[in-house]
Amino acid sequence: MNTQHSLSPHFTWKRAGVLIPGLLLFSAGPIRAQRTEKHFKVEERPVITVHNPNGTITVKAWTKSEVMVTASHATGQVEVDAEQTGNRVDIMTRQLADAGPEDFRADYEIRVPQDAELQIHDDSGAVTVANVLGDMNVETVAAGVDLEDAAGYLTVKTVGGSFQCLRCAGRLEVSSISGNFRFVDIRSYNLRAQTSTGNILFSGEFLPNGMYRMKNYSGVIEVRFSPGDSFDLSATSLKGKVNNEAKLTPPAHQERLLSRFGNSLFGTFNSGRAKVELSSFDGTINILKRD
Amino acid sequence: MNTMGCSEFLDQLDVWMEGEAHPDARAHMRSCPGCRTVVEDLNAISQAATTLAMEETEEPPERVWVALRSQLEREGLIHEPRRVAGSRLARWLEEISAGVPRPALAGAYLAILIAVGFGLCRPIDSRTNAENWAFSTQSSTTPLSAQLNNAEISAVSMAGSSKSLIAASLHKNLDIVDNYISLCEKSVREDPENEVARDYLYEAYQQKADLLAQMSDRGVDGR
Repeated sequence: MNTQHSLSPHFTWKRAGVLIPGLLLFSAGPIRAQRTEKHFKVEERPVITVHNPNGTITVKAWTKSEVMVTASHATGQVEVDAEQTGNRVDIMTRQLADAGPEDFRADYEIRVPQDAELQIHDDSGAVTVANVLGDMNVETVAAGVDLEDAAGYLTVKTVGGSFQCLRCAGRLEVSSISGNFRFVDIRSYNLRAQTSTGNILFSGEFLPNGMYRMKNYSGVIEVRFSPGDSFDLSATSLKGKVNNEAKLTPPAHQERLLSRFGNSLFGTFNSGRAKVELSSFDGTINILKRD
Repeated sequence: MNTMGCSEFLDQLDVWMEGEAHPDARAHMRSCPGCRTVVEDLNAISQAATTLAMEETEEPPERVWVALRSQLEREGLIHEPRRVAGSRLARWLEEISAGVPRPALAGAYLAILIAVGFGLCRPIDSRTNAENWAFSTQSSTTPLSAQLNNAEISAVSMAGSSKSLIAASLHKNLDIVDNYISLCEKSVREDPENEVARDYLYEAYQQKADLLAQMSDRGVDGR
């Protein structure tokens, strides 16, 4: 039997040489959205790393011992890699072709066990994490970071991205150059927050023996306290103002504690069980009652 | 009889570390637990550095060196133009760094800061008059600032004319830090004894070093 098919009389190999690569390029073109879903069985306290240059990353906890990664990217010029090594799942966005900076992006939705440890790197876009209780490290340039009901040792570093933490517990270390920080209904025993030009809002509970340090260069640091809180306060703004609504007991040796520089306030609220240190170079510090 | 005090002993620390100890220095070390601890710590760092030198070959990022220098100067331990204990120690550290690859010292960075900071801050902190502060602050910040400016030229030239969101954000924040630095420098110039302003200034230098390192790491298009 003859299996050889005859080609169209109009066909030329030269023309094919132009058409085929063209078709291939078109198929990998920028308008083709792609979605990937992968599942990984994990044990207790898995580690999940995500490295994405641009896009949204949403991580939520669930009750399964499994990590589910759903990724979508608008162009064929990027590829999503998700691999498991032992109890670690590594997720990474890779550039296939010479994509422009704005095309080199992917959006992720990730489900993880509640005790997962997260390491997230997302330059721009947004990072949202909810109900994850393991340790977490998030680094971004311009992406904002939003944590909800998180716990563990949480470290967040941004260049210009804002940070919000709602009902977070554990230990928090946050730094930025121009990002604003909001800590709302916090139950953290150790908080260290530093931003150069951003504002810092703290509205939460000062736990007994807790340590809370907030520092900026300019901008406003606002701390809201409840009547039942108990803390030792030190607030200094080198060139800005310190406004206070808390009835503080002055320290026994105030003359030694008073700063030689700037506007300072030292004192104890109730029995002073937590330690609160607020400092700013040029910004305003407000210590206000919670509504 | 031992006639040497702690301050004098620490002034001669670089000579001691080179193995050329004066008999009075030996006598002082036998009788002074504080100085003995400093020497033991420095010996431990030196040994750790040598061990690390044999294990590692990778060059650390430039920001480690800027941060190290910034921290040592912030602690008042190195003042280049002046022959004080800090500058002699700095030369001794430089000699170590010349002898071993940089990662070795990078690994020992924290240990150096802790040991040297605690060991030597006392005699230097005692020079608290305005003139000394002005002199030491200027001599600390001028080379740091120059080093950072060079790094900035290099990082910005690598970043080229990229208009990516990331590059824009990095440039914008670099401007913010530069402004922050110039205001802190002004404050320190106006009131050289103001330790708080000095702390803010050194933090700003470190922030700039971090940012420049990020820009360099991302290369041409800010990615």
